[in-house]
Amino acid sequence: MAARRTQKPARNRATREFVSEVEEILERMRADLSDLADARAGGRLDPELANRLFRSAHSLKGIAGMFGFEGVSDLAHHMEDILDGLRMGRLPPGAPALALLDEVVEVVAGMLESGEGELAAGALAQVQALIERIVASLASEAPPAADDDLDGIDASILRALTEYEEHRLRESLRAGRAIHLVEASFEILSFEEGLSELTGSVRALGEVLSTLPAPGDSPDSQIRFSLLVATECDAAELGSRIDLPNAMVRAMRASRATPTQPGSAAPAASAPTELLRDASPGESPRADGGSEIESLKSISETVRVDIRKLDELMNLVGELVIQRGAIGSLADRLLADPATARAGLELSKLHKSLERRLTDLQAGVLEVRMVPLRQVFEKLSRVVRRLRRDLGKDVRLDIRGGDTELDKLIVEQLADPLMHVVRNAFDHAIEPAADRASAGKPAEGSIRLEALQRGNHVVIEVADDGRGIDPEAVRQRAHTLGLIEQDAVLSRKEVLDLIFAPGLSTTTEVTETSGRGVGMDVVRENVTALGGIVHVDSQPGRGTTVVFTLPITLAIIRALTVGVADQRFAIPLTTVLETMLVDPVAIQRSEGREFLTLRGEPLPLRRLHAEFGLPSPPAGARVAVVVVGLGDLRLGLVVDHREGQQDAVIKPIQGPVRSVRGIAGATELGDLGTVLVLDVASLVEDAAKRREAA
Amino acid sequence: MSIEIGALGPGPFEELARSAALHGQEPIESTSERELLVLWLDDDPYALPVERVREIVRWRPITPVPRVPAAVRGVLSLRGEIVQVIDLRLRLGLAPSLAEGRRRRIVVLHGDDGQMTGLLVDRVSEVLRLRDEELRAPTGRDAGTVVALAPQGDRFVSVFDVDRVLDLGVGA
Repeated sequence: MAARRTQKPARNRATREFVSEVEEILERMRADLSDLADARAGGRLDPELANRLFRSAHSLKGIAGMFGFEGVSDLAHHMEDILDGLRMGRLPPGAPALALLDEVVEVVAGMLESGEGELAAGALAQVQALIERIVASLASEAPPAADDDLDGIDASILRALTEYEEHRLRESLRAGRAIHLVEASFEILSFEEGLSELTGSVRALGEVLSTLPAPGDSPDSQIRFSLLVATECDAAELGSRIDLPNAMVRAMRASRATPTQPGSAAPAASAPTELLRDASPGESPRADGGSEIESLKSISETVRVDIRKLDELMNLVGELVIQRGAIGSLADRLLADPATARAGLELSKLHKSLERRLTDLQAGVLEVRMVPLRQVFEKLSRVVRRLRRDLGKDVRLDIRGGDTELDKLIVEQLADPLMHVVRNAFDHAIEPAADRASAGKPAEGSIRLEALQRGNHVVIEVADDGRGIDPEAVRQRAHTLGLIEQDAVLSRKEVLDLIFAPGLSTTTEVTETSGRGVGMDVVRENVTALGGIVHVDSQPGRGTTVVFTLPITLAIIRALTVGVADQRFAIPLTTVLETMLVDPVAIQRSEGREFLTLRGEPLPLRRLHAEFGLPSPPAGARVAVVVVGLGDLRLGLVVDHREGQQDAVIKPIQGPVRSVRGIAGATELGDLGTVLVLDVASLVEDAAKRREAA
Repeated sequence: MSIEIGALGPGPFEELARSAALHGQEPIESTSERELLVLWLDDDPYALPVERVREIVRWRPITPVPRVPAAVRGVLSLRGEIVQVIDLRLRLGLAPSLAEGRRRRIVVLHGDDGQMTGLLVDRVSEVLRLRDEELRAPTGRDAGTVVALAPQGDRFVSVFDVDRVLDLGVGA
């Protein structure tokens, strides 16, 4: 075992870079492992996935070694062994090997989180034991019979194959696929492009077992390659479908399904013109291998960016937007005066085109911040797989809408609340198999995780088909806790909403996976902090659905400005359903709480004056009502008047007072100065709570 | 616009208070110099360590914020950052200033956690350089916001503990 470091490595810049790079590799490995588990159905292994995993483990080993994290490097080395065993067919692609890989990935992730970079002796011994078990089971496993059925394959080719390539060749033969040799010559100065094009088109039709330099009488300026290909196509079909002049296909072994004449040659394209391409200037010939080149290229295509840098960019864009507004009003002033109207017109045109470009820029920067939810969903799916294994509970997690994108910051903050809800579902909601059977449900429990975009919001649903929430039990518990009166009149929804109250648990069971049932209040708190809202619906015996509604981004918003007394507030337009002028006689009261009838439904009202301790408007004055909604809660905010719409970058408020309920932050709005932005989610929730408390 | 966190902990103040309290009882070896920004409320001079001062800006309209302690006058935007402004007069329990005078300044401070806060004062005069042994213990309350008195000419300047000034007793 490598020397253990005693000191905790300082989290310096280099370490941070290491950590973020390793996180990326682990993320990739997790995704591939999960795909591998899915694709394993027929007991066969997707060679492409296994190879990718092998490459990931290899890079992990490399960079861990480079940064001196020898524990990680060791583990990565073991992963390589296992993966090598898998792809070479020495190890059965069964659950034990995959579970071990899962575990090693998680162990590495844990080391990264703890900042140790090294493994505690106990955990290491455990992993070592697992590795030994796998190696032992591999030894006991009889190696697949090496049928010497390699007839028809040139001995010169067989000699050139690596162990892995030969293994793939045998596998392909066993699967009854045809083996062909595709040969082509390339200009030496541009062979990379030509070769990768050829490889690409062949891959669409089969597996490239090996790429070999081919001997042959080609001109000095050219280089010749042959690709050993396993495919279902016969030689003629392969030849006709490779759209590359100068490529020849030679059949070596016919597939079992479609016999062809061994040794027959077919031209690859109808017109075998010379494949001559001018080397583009600046492109130099490379001596190293093709796969090396490929991997270097793929790295340079993506750039990791610190989210704070994006914030800075976003701020700059925000400031530009404000200045753009100032230019707009200057143009208007110039236009208004006949003496300067000409210049005003010019400026106005410039302003318009600036506006268009700024909008594009803004959209571009916002887009960079967006990441698919898949990352979080995959983490959850891993957790469920592990729980399933550890607890032996048969639960399936269905994931939909992983492509739905959200601001990176929101996605990060969302992981914990989602995890909590999924664990609750796994642990408490889904009944034991026996109970399910007697309830006439399928033995396998189901949790559905689904995301979809709805306007400027993303809705995420976690639905289970478990026992559901018993409203009567919730009522009792809430009453015991003193949250409600014994005889409180509550709708079903209001009762269910009580599970978000602190301290309220729907089960008395305490488990390791989801703790004491505390935490739905924390879930709601976290989601509210993101400007979102969370709701629950449940049918006893049928299941429970938890619905998260979140804004797509926190960075820049369209805001409606309103006047209240001598102040001005901005309301995120994504939460505004409509605005209206209201005659005060239309406002009714019920138990002292004001409401309005809107399209036949009562709409509760909150006066921002009262909310924020500002002077009320004179009695009888017409007021404006801004109807805001989040999820299915509606609230009418009463203000003095509405002004206009602005683009706003919401900034946190710095200083000794950390948070003000009802205020999300502030924004700078050019001429209007600094304007506070309302936190509609908390206002709506407070209004709902007051109703409950009433 | 990076803000060094950690380098500006409460350390200097405790030291400052200690050297003020100890003075006259024990020989003090340290002859380290301090730089204090002198500011005024009415005709009384106060001071705070310059290393906590980020910048000084002229009085400008402040956007009021609801649901905060009265000493918080509101927020203003400082090159894209939104900063709370504490009225030092109200913070110390003095009557509010009647005129928003031309000389009023907002002293922008680094907080102990990288957050900025503006401190509204009547005026700012100069930077005072002095040695630790020149400090005297404060005459006010033990747990007040002033931790030392610093001589200036024939009178004393009250030296603040910035973190105590910024502690409004609201949830962190």
